[in-house]
Amino acid sequence: MKRYLKLIVLCLLAPLAWVSCKDDFPIDDDGLLITKRSQCFVSNFELLGADFLTVRSKNPVIDTVACTIDVEVFYGTDLTNVYPQFSLVTDAKLDPKIVGKMDFSDLATPKVFTVVSGNRKVRKPYTVNITVQQ
Amino acid sequence: MQRKYLFNISFLLSLLLLVGACKEEEYAIPTLRSEFQNDCIKRNLGPNLIGNKMEFAYAMALPPNRGRILSAQVEASIAGAPGTYLENRSFHTDASRVDIGVPIGEPAQTAGKVTRVDFTADTSAATLRYYYVIPDEARGQQVSFTFSASSSTGENVSYTMGPYDISRMDIALDLNVKDGETSYISIADMAVYDATAAAANADKIDLVYLYRALPNISFAHALVAPAADPQYLPEVTLPAGVNKNTRLRKAWGLRDQQLARLQFGIFIDDLDFQQIDLSDAPNYGINMRAESGAWVETADGRYRAYIFINAVDNANKSARISIKRYAL
Repeated sequence: MKRYLKLIVLCLLAPLAWVSCKDDFPIDDDGLLITKRSQCFVSNFELLGADFLTVRSKNPVIDTVACTIDVEVFYGTDLTNVYPQFSLVTDAKLDPKIVGKMDFSDLATPKVFTVVSGNRKVRKPYTVNITVQQ
Repeated sequence: MQRKYLFNISFLLSLLLLVGACKEEEYAIPTLRSEFQNDCIKRNLGPNLIGNKMEFAYAMALPPNRGRILSAQVEASIAGAPGTYLENRSFHTDASRVDIGVPIGEPAQTAGKVTRVDFTADTSAATLRYYYVIPDEARGQQVSFTFSASSSTGENVSYTMGPYDISRMDIALDLNVKDGETSYISIADMAVYDATAAAANADKIDLVYLYRALPNISFAHALVAPAADPQYLPEVTLPAGVNKNTRLRKAWGLRDQQLARLQFGIFIDDLDFQQIDLSDAPNYGINMRAESGAWVETADGRYRAYIFINAVDNANKSARISIKRYAL
């Protein structure tokens, strides 16, 4: 009987020991997982107006080599209050972060967002060029 | 020895489970209450706007062998506007969801804050509806209601509802705007004007409605402040003195139930107007669609409003709009 009890206790303790010895995954300053992915690109870009509808008049042109995003917006778009949305490759993140509406009205000085790869070693600055439909 | 204990413990636990599993809760028929009772529900939703009706259903009953209902009355903390009444018909809903009204007395008498119905029918149960038309005096205040009834047994019952906040908003429904005609919108007056009337009320004109079908540009139906960049007022000659710089922000999917009267349970309330910040909003909104809207703040900062586009008509270059307005 005692032998059975010992076996049961051993079986219960064994998984605990295994869990406690497992290594933690590395995380970055934002609490995001740092992975082994080195890919670093923007896959899609969206720009929403104050009414949360798209202000793009056509699909954005994203050049992942030149790191540019060319967007045409509707005539009359209020560019002082728009919400940009980036779709990034898996595990990548954006710097600076987008926390709300932004002002894109200074067309002569395009905004730059840096994409950081999953392994946090590759950084690519993307320039968002906006033109207004005429 | 240990095995014996294990068997005993297992047996006891099984017994306990058996006892728990076999326990049955017996249903007991509720005892009929014999006293005179009442209950009340509020039947309308959303902000309580001046001029709109608040609707209640007041139910009262006692066992038929004990007596009958003599009267029912409602006392509002603020007297209702004309049109306030207590139904003299007791309503029930049939299987087809149709409301059936059975007269129980003479039409209600209203004296000041009290609306009363005296029963003429010999009935021991009734549900009466009460419609309270919100008076202007109640704006920004709270109103509560005391429903009461008396029976032939000498018993009196009462039920208090509220207090309910009365909105400070105003509402104007179904204003027809048409490009080149009734195209001047006044938030202060909650009205639309043509060019002649706009010239006479120039200081009250906050927005211009226009429709343009321009090549390569989605302009269509637009609400534009008179002081906006002339590129947003193509071929528009403003009447003398119409020059307000109204701020507005387009909104989509905000189909306020009281403005749209559609199936969406969305209500714009005083709080929305109090909290919205339109300081960085533009002074134009083009390409407005049916069931879209715009938050508006007048140039003098006196009013905030929400203009809802009920319908648009491209062929006639017109639209039907409804406005909720909040005085700051």
